[in-house]
Amino acid sequence: VKEPRTHTESELVDYMRSIDVRAPQRLHDSIEQLVADRAAPRGRKSTGADAPARTGTLGRRLAAGMALAAAVAAVLVVAFNNGSHDALTVTQASVLTLRPATAAAPQEDRGSDGTELAAAVDGVRFPYWEDHFGWRSTGSRTDHVGGRTVRTVFYGNDRGQRIGYAIVAGVPAPRVGGGVVAWRNGTAYRLLSVGDLRVVTWLRHGRMCVVTGRGVSGATLLTLASWDDQGATPA
Amino acid sequence: MRTLDPQSLPQHVDRLYRAAWALCGSREDAEDLVQETFARVLSRPRVLHGADDAYYLMRVLRNTFLTSRRTASRRPVTVAEVDDVVTPDPRPMGRPEQALEVQELYATIAELPENFRLALVAVDVLGLSYREASRALRVREATLTTRLFRARKQVVARLGAEPADGAPRERSRVGAVTREETGADGVLSSGSSQ
Repeated sequence: VKEPRTHTESELVDYMRSIDVRAPQRLHDSIEQLVADRAAPRGRKSTGADAPARTGTLGRRLAAGMALAAAVAAVLVVAFNNGSHDALTVTQASVLTLRPATAAAPQEDRGSDGTELAAAVDGVRFPYWEDHFGWRSTGSRTDHVGGRTVRTVFYGNDRGQRIGYAIVAGVPAPRVGGGVVAWRNGTAYRLLSVGDLRVVTWLRHGRMCVVTGRGVSGATLLTLASWDDQGATPA
Repeated sequence: MRTLDPQSLPQHVDRLYRAAWALCGSREDAEDLVQETFARVLSRPRVLHGADDAYYLMRVLRNTFLTSRRTASRRPVTVAEVDDVVTPDPRPMGRPEQALEVQELYATIAELPENFRLALVAVDVLGLSYREASRALRVREATLTTRLFRARKQVVARLGAEPADGAPRERSRVGAVTREETGADGVLSSGSSQ
């Protein structure tokens, strides 16, 4: 026997406003994909906010299908190749980007025209996002996992959000499958979900890059990741 | 005036989903409605006059909802089965009791007359101010207030109501189907607000 949950209008209002049901993950993924499609930069350094794109029913369904594929792929995520048992996975790389910094934040490389930090892995530099996006570098760390060196630079914004940008040393780059692939200027950016995390991974000069942020949308990560893709190579 | 930033939209998904669920009474329809709403919003740049995106999204949600209802009303009517209405949730919210309560509440709201439903969803589910809600729904604040008052009263009455045999009511949706089967209330049709 169930008692009515609300006896008065006031209780009803309190109850309705206390409901915090979250939308299904597939819906979040689908909307983020729609936003990512809409925000596709048309030129280098675009923030993507002013690039209109058409999204119709077909596109919506396609996005939903892709999002579903991403959700499935998130479970599969994907070992770096070589077949070795200690191979690093994208999940592990993502976890590294959530760990605390152990070294100081790299500074802007003054000779880079405001696009890069003075930090690199195998010559692949980390981006400087502060002037364009308000994400400033806040620290860094270096790890050795699965026989590879992974350097991570952390970025923070005024809202207290944090992003980790990892570059994995060594070629050939590990191969990653699954997720949703978004193409930007000829580069494949793979969007994955690892639990409630959004992960974007792609190649720059043959090196694996992984960007992750807790509470940061996939669309934002994709915009940041693809902002300066000069020199990036297709996955 | 400012241009709506698409990057800000994902943060509204949960609120819009709850609003759409209360409008439709079904999670599956709510997902479709939210997707269609965002697809519309993103189809071209949008200029907003207020500081909050939510009231604008509510306006688009309302328009999309009403359009989809009109479209659905032109389709052949298919009576819903109980199994169609109470769909097992593949990803429960973690608190089964609350999930059932929310489902029952939103299903009850979805049975309200359309204008009452929209007022309740805009203010109590989406959390808009009376002013924002009246703008989003294109009605006067006084009208909105009246509709909201009546909507709340009806929901409380329906949630507390017991069927004629005296047995406590377990799920509003089952009650809705029973009434439809007896022809005493509205029709549940596929693709409609139910």
